[in-house]
Amino acid sequence: MMLLRRLPTFAAFAALTAFTFAGPSWATDKDVLVIDKAEDPPTADPGVEVSNNGYTLIFPAYERLVKYDGAKTEVIPELAESWTTAPDNLSWTFKLASGHMFDDGSPVDAAAVKYSFDRVKKLAAGPGDMFPTVKDVVVVDPQTVKFELSAPFAPFLSALATSAGSIINPKAQEHAVNGDDAKAWLAEHSAGSGAFKISAWERNQQITLDPNPHYAGKAPAFKQVIFKIVREMSSRRLQLENGDADLIDQVPVDQAEAMKSSAGVVIESNPSLYVVYLYLNNKKAPFDNPKVRQAISYAADYKGLVDGVMQGQAEQMRGAVPDGMWGHDPQGMQYSYDLEKAKQLLADAGVSNLHISFTYSQADSAWEPVGLALQASLAEIGVTMDMKNVADTTKRELVAKGDYDIATGAWTPDFADPFMFMNIWFDPTKMGAPGNRAFYENPKVTDLITQALATVDQKKREQLYIDAQKITNEDAPYVLLFQKNDIFAMRSSVKGYVYNPMLIQVYNIADMSKSE
Amino acid sequence: MSLISTILRRLVLLVFVVAGVAIITFTISHLIPGDPAQLIAGDKASAQTLAHVRQELGLDKPVTQQFVIYVKQLLSGDLGQSLRTRRPVAGDIALFLPATLELGIAALVMAIMIGVPLGVLSAIYKDGPVDQAARVVSVAGISMPVFWFGLALILLFYVKIPILPGSGRITLGIAAPPRITGFFLVDSLVAGDLKAFWSSLYHLILPAFVLAFANLGIITRQIRASMLDVLQEDYVRTARANGLSRSAVILRHALPNALIPSVTLLGLAFGDLLYGAVLTETIFAWPGMGSYVVSSIQTLDFPAIMGFTIVASLGYVLINLAVDLTYMVLDPQIRELG
Repeated sequence: MMLLRRLPTFAAFAALTAFTFAGPSWATDKDVLVIDKAEDPPTADPGVEVSNNGYTLIFPAYERLVKYDGAKTEVIPELAESWTTAPDNLSWTFKLASGHMFDDGSPVDAAAVKYSFDRVKKLAAGPGDMFPTVKDVVVVDPQTVKFELSAPFAPFLSALATSAGSIINPKAQEHAVNGDDAKAWLAEHSAGSGAFKISAWERNQQITLDPNPHYAGKAPAFKQVIFKIVREMSSRRLQLENGDADLIDQVPVDQAEAMKSSAGVVIESNPSLYVVYLYLNNKKAPFDNPKVRQAISYAADYKGLVDGVMQGQAEQMRGAVPDGMWGHDPQGMQYSYDLEKAKQLLADAGVSNLHISFTYSQADSAWEPVGLALQASLAEIGVTMDMKNVADTTKRELVAKGDYDIATGAWTPDFADPFMFMNIWFDPTKMGAPGNRAFYENPKVTDLITQALATVDQKKREQLYIDAQKITNEDAPYVLLFQKNDIFAMRSSVKGYVYNPMLIQVYNIADMSKSE
Repeated sequence: MSLISTILRRLVLLVFVVAGVAIITFTISHLIPGDPAQLIAGDKASAQTLAHVRQELGLDKPVTQQFVIYVKQLLSGDLGQSLRTRRPVAGDIALFLPATLELGIAALVMAIMIGVPLGVLSAIYKDGPVDQAARVVSVAGISMPVFWFGLALILLFYVKIPILPGSGRITLGIAAPPRITGFFLVDSLVAGDLKAFWSSLYHLILPAFVLAFANLGIITRQIRASMLDVLQEDYVRTARANGLSRSAVILRHALPNALIPSVTLLGLAFGDLLYGAVLTETIFAWPGMGSYVVSSIQTLDFPAIMGFTIVASLGYVLINLAVDLTYMVLDPQIRELG
């Protein structure tokens, strides 16, 4: 009737609107890079941020004293042109390169370095843990800065290459409110000397980066880089396939497989240092018996998990230090799927009718299938395992309190040093939440890793860590499952991307370009 | 009972509802094991760092004292700080709620614009082809999962026949209008930015339709039923006998009366729409409360979950009050019986 009579007008209007706006999509512009992310980064503040999602913004916006060399895990100079270490390893002196400037044009000097490290320490919000022994930062002259340590810390140089080591413009302090050290402002803005700066941030929607006009390096190819927040994987995939996004991250293995046939899309899959493993509660019977722990390690179907759950996008671990990091032992012992041996070990331990639980969350999609596979294997050797699915924070709390039998874990190193595995997983002073989640203690191992931490010579350290791994492999406090590949998908027009296993969700956008 | 006393009575009740919700959500959130400090300081934080963060958040105090502090803050309109976004929860809600409301209102308008005529037509041509078709649409709308339907429409109108955008609120490269209400359609008109207006409208079509479709069935069926009732009434027959045209009787006499019972339904439907918005927002990358709440729940971000629950229950009660008041105005009988 009246409404119906107006229908053609409405339809014509709708069609007109559609044609007006269905023009060429923005992402095909050569000067603009569009990256779809699954989650809005919590903050972009190097002093508080602890997630890879936040590092996506921090790395291109800030420079550090040293940086990872391309795809390698060794560090090379960035803001520092050279450095020296005192013979007692208690002080490090850095000479700053000239010409580096913050995005407001002011120079990066020793005072800025001091400001940044003092701030991280004062905020004590997580990134501060990267530099546990830094006592003081001293401005020697505008181009020279000295770090004084309370104890030698062998991975110090590597730690400087992390997000926590980003150098912030001291002028950011002008934005401080109620003594927050500019925490609120730096959460959504940047004040660095990196190739880009954050120019707009619409929460849960998109973040725009513009080039820093004072950047000391080569001017980037992109006039703008946009991070769009698209939670749903299917939506991210359609955006990429339709050319509205150039790159999408956090691609699950099944989607990666399906996208291999999409025209104009390239799947990047690189071995990462992200490991999936299980904690066994070493202080709780029967897991206080190494034989029982070994039995569980023999009951995991490693090949089945890598080929089935991970569709080949993973590699079984060999010792605690993953392949791709120095300190990894290529000759190290590896457990195999051997139920007979597992059964025998349980009999040797005098354990029967075992009833245990498997605590996991949905934070990693591999955990549930890993648990189900283990449950089936254990059932064959007479062990009953209950699956306990909880919220991720709940899982962490239960693990921290040691209130579990078997629990799931995932770990990535913060800096490229075996310290990140050996001196955390096996250190008896770090039991529970800080990292020794198996509540493991072996004085011989403690001794070896403590020595390694105080040694500067890398060759010697490597041997100490390999010796320690020989013991921990035998003791089996954890079930070492696999290290995952890092998968994402991009348009074939995107050039120059370099994967660094230390920089998950970080893109070298300053060196990337587009060919169409 | 007078209108004013009803409002007063309901507002007093409102205080109890909010207090109850605050107590329940606070208790639940503190019963679930989980250390919010670790969420902030990260998986590898040292014991000292965790202790420092706990102290900063006031989590080192006894639970009862934490509750007193929470209530005090609540009374001054402070919903605390989100653990995940590190921003005030009230600010986050103010930022994301308008996007959800804009989507919800657009969907409601769409559902009414399609549902009311469809309901009227199926009542007039009862058991005819229009009625049958409307029945199919209703059942489809109620039974099709929003998640699936949304993706199917994206596939159709964004990928296969690319005439509509598949995600977001506005075209990439077009600046969002300066924030006044947070409704892009309103703000862009106020700013006189027609480009932003059309782009926002254009981005609203698919998600609003998906959301509207789920509620279309209920509205259509309700209008049809009450229309059939009204069409049996004596006054309709009298009007026809007096020589009024069929369409005049339907539009001027029958429809207004048939709409009265639907007002209640619309109040409920709006609640449903906000609930359905959670999934719709996820699929369409719509930066509203839905995706905010999903992320908050996944990370057990208690202050955010509690803040949202309180605001949502407040909204629900107020919408119900508005519905009841509308009802009283429309139908004097209720005022007398009330």
